[in-house]
Amino acid sequence: MHDLLDDYAQSNALRDTNPRLKLALGLGAIIFCVSSVSPVAPLFVAVSMGLITVILAKIPARFYSKLLLIPVSFAVLSTVVVAFMHGTGTVLFSVDVFGFDLAVREDGANLALLLISRTIGGMCSLFFIALTTPMIEIFAVLKTLHIPDSVIELSMMIYRYIFVFLDQAAMIHSAQVMRLGDTGLKNSLNAFAMLSSVLFLRSWEQGERLIVAMDARCYSGRLDLTDQAAKAEPRAILAAAAYLAAVAAIAVLTRNIQML
Amino acid sequence: MTTILETQDLGYSYGDGTVALQGVNIRLEEGKKVALVGPNGAGKSTLMLMFNGILQPKSGSVLFRGQPLNYDATSLRSIRRAVGMVFQNSDDQLFAPTVYQDVAFGPSNLGYPAEKVKRYVTYALAYVGLSGYEPRPPHHLSGGEKKRVAIAGILAMEPEVMILDEPTSNLDPATSEEIMEMLEELNLGGKTLIISTHDVDLAYRWADEVILMKDGGVLRRGSGPEVFGDQELIREARLKLPIVVDLYHELAGRGLVDGPKPPRNILELCDTLEQGCKGRAPSHSAADSIRPGKICICNVDELKAPQIPSILERISPSYKGAMGTSAKVMAEEAGIALDFTYGVIDKCILKSLVGKSSLIMTSGGMVDHAANRIMDYCRESGAVIEVVRLSTGSELTCKRIP
Repeated sequence: MHDLLDDYAQSNALRDTNPRLKLALGLGAIIFCVSSVSPVAPLFVAVSMGLITVILAKIPARFYSKLLLIPVSFAVLSTVVVAFMHGTGTVLFSVDVFGFDLAVREDGANLALLLISRTIGGMCSLFFIALTTPMIEIFAVLKTLHIPDSVIELSMMIYRYIFVFLDQAAMIHSAQVMRLGDTGLKNSLNAFAMLSSVLFLRSWEQGERLIVAMDARCYSGRLDLTDQAAKAEPRAILAAAAYLAAVAAIAVLTRNIQML
Repeated sequence: MTTILETQDLGYSYGDGTVALQGVNIRLEEGKKVALVGPNGAGKSTLMLMFNGILQPKSGSVLFRGQPLNYDATSLRSIRRAVGMVFQNSDDQLFAPTVYQDVAFGPSNLGYPAEKVKRYVTYALAYVGLSGYEPRPPHHLSGGEKKRVAIAGILAMEPEVMILDEPTSNLDPATSEEIMEMLEELNLGGKTLIISTHDVDLAYRWADEVILMKDGGVLRRGSGPEVFGDQELIREARLKLPIVVDLYHELAGRGLVDGPKPPRNILELCDTLEQGCKGRAPSHSAADSIRPGKICICNVDELKAPQIPSILERISPSYKGAMGTSAKVMAEEAGIALDFTYGVIDKCILKSLVGKSSLIMTSGGMVDHAANRIMDYCRESGAVIEVVRLSTGSELTCKRIP
């Protein structure tokens, strides 16, 4: 019924690699992406992370490109605005709209390019984490980083019940569609409002049942998190370190390069 | 028999004044299988929630091993450990993000060290036949698997009494029979079981004691035939007769069978019917001329999966059945297509009576249970069925059970 990130996180080819290493790789790449001043390093990260995700983790390329299309379309829309609104320098392109002179200048274009490459690089790194590491292993890593227990436990239960409510929302939606709740804008808005309110009430009730279920099993503030993850292989650590060093080097070496 | 759970004049009403229970007096004996039956809103779930102190009675009291429940934190912990509850909707119960964490929830909250928690979880998951499912998230499990995990989560706390609210609702027939058989296995291991159900056939066949409830009170308590023998009462409680009982009454109405009480199951019904026929019809029924088939019982604890095909070759049974989780797991490992996965003993007796041989794979205490059940049947019915217990050492030896 669903094609969820979580399904791939559970079954990809890098599933059993140490989660700390995967997190470090993804987060490191994100940091270099956002701190790089030229678009070269982020574009390198985007391409390499994409290849790692598709080839090494064996995520279907079709699914991956569809997934990437979502943030890319947002990024393109917003950077177009930035390109028109920002900067000085030579005019690269101008258009006359009802007497207003809208122009893309050199500065604006460079900034827009940088923004879009940072966004895509960052998203590719984030998708790498999301598609290769099950949430539960991320929680285990967070626990070893001394994030407060209550925060982790809450996140775990929120994570668990996302899927219960997802199913319920899908069922309510089907029930609405079956009785033609989606004909016309007015109807679908109304149906959506009902779906939201019912889902809210149900989550409230579910919360109450959750307390009973936990009490019935002697809850005293302990939710076990065993770190069952495999040890990181030295080879994998070296490869990840080499990759991050390469990204850093590219970022430093290309700091003066402007695309336009 | 010692009384394990008892209620005295129990009453409960919800916040809005709806009376859920009134004057409930019941006494449950240790090691019994009890079924609560009754229409929607009869108070079954409310009563169950009182057995382990989740709801506190408005009047009367609940006694565990003769001691009234106290509702302070320490007493509640000990009662909830001793009386475990499996909810109707598994999604309510499985709140942890992985199977391992969920089963480990009870033991770790009881303060066991990590190593002990792990041992208990491994044991409980093996018991329900889900070894290797530890890292899976619950939303990737089927309904039957979720139910098994929920049961494992309770088993890991080693309760004396297990309460299951509608354990077979939303499960397919084969899965629900397998769940019920697992409960039977737990009961043979000494656990007291209480279930609530709308499935009258299930309650009739499975339970030692049936408690019929309506409008927050108990209408009748007794064995299945006692409670379901009263057609008026069953109609009043908005239930229906178990199919076996219904059929028996109709046959009795036509004068085909007679007897003081309705049969417990299909096997007994067939026997009653056969006896009824013998008096009238000329005796050319197949069962008379046919020698009953042999039933072999093998203990899978003494075997390894690769040995099973050679055993099958040697005794070549017409039908193969497995009782209990470990036997089923082993049959799957050995790649054997099972004919019976539930109600195995009765099915094998029925097949034996028409001349077919069968093999029952089972383990532990259920080996004796199966042999005794068949022997009891032979004693009551006068049939002669050859029961062979297979023991494997270096070679296969056959022992006739006296």
